[in-house]
Amino acid sequence: MIFREVEDRDLIGKAKRGDVEAYNLLVSRWEKRVFNYLLRLVGHREDALDLSQDVFLKAYQNLPKLDAAEKFAGWLFRIAHNEAFSLLRKRRPEGELPHEKGSSEAGRLLPMELSLAVDSALRRLSEDQREAVLLKVYQGFKFDEMAEILGCPVSTVKSRLYTALDLLKTTLSPALSLSNVRGES
Amino acid sequence: MSCPSYDWKAYALGELDANSRREAEAHAATCSACRDELAELRLTLDALSTLREEEIPRRIAFVSDKVFEPRWWQNFLKPSFAAGCMVAAAILVHAFVRPAVDEAAIQTRIDKALVQVEQRQAKQMEAVDSVLKMIDKENRFVYARNAGLVRE
Repeated sequence: MIFREVEDRDLIGKAKRGDVEAYNLLVSRWEKRVFNYLLRLVGHREDALDLSQDVFLKAYQNLPKLDAAEKFAGWLFRIAHNEAFSLLRKRRPEGELPHEKGSSEAGRLLPMELSLAVDSALRRLSEDQREAVLLKVYQGFKFDEMAEILGCPVSTVKSRLYTALDLLKTTLSPALSLSNVRGES
Repeated sequence: MSCPSYDWKAYALGELDANSRREAEAHAATCSACRDELAELRLTLDALSTLREEEIPRRIAFVSDKVFEPRWWQNFLKPSFAAGCMVAAAILVHAFVRPAVDEAAIQTRIDKALVQVEQRQAKQMEAVDSVLKMIDKENRFVYARNAGLVRE
């Protein structure tokens, strides 16, 4: 991780001086993480891909504004967060609130495969809750880094994440019981 | 129901410092409700970790076009360009700042040097002449002795 940071810093420096190849290398290191984050957040592959392209284009154009290379990850995900929520706002009919627990999907039987069950459970979360899980569980950011990315206090980050975990625990419990039974048999 | 004074979610997510972790672990060793809470959390997090990461359908890459090329003024910041400018500036400065040539002074120096060279040559000729005279005198003496004109 330390080596990666050092190399990223070097690539960021070169990219700031207009080295497109260095930037492409930087993109190749981060594109999968950014794409998966956006995919889980917006739930559509083509949209996630388009957004990823936009994220890296904006990141390149704004790279001179990045004051510290070690903050690149949080800064990049902040751009991704803004792009994703810009799309989600456009998608959502005016006045409609983001769907919370108890949506029409609630109560549906979970798929047997655990990963599918997880995918389904994540989709049931509100966008804010899902994003908190994505940043913490899948991207490994700390609470304070998440607060910077999301532009909200740490207390809000914790509240969203903790609620999401409680909901996931409840939603996944049938699948987890099933997988445990399978594991024991 | 777990004990409210312990934040097991922060524990499971790796957000507690070393002291708080140790304190929480010591408590969990004696509290079955907290152990159950932690076990359920870990089960949920383990389940979340089974979600596979998707491969990106198309690689994202940028080519060097107008959008990415550095602006004209950014070229001035390149080291090679800056070095070239400095060399060119140094040549120009040297051409304009170099002192004007004083032909008369040079001619005076040449004349002075010529006089010095002539004087040195004259001294050398005098020395050569003196040596030749001595040789001639010696030859005359030898000749006279051989002819018996001079008694040793």
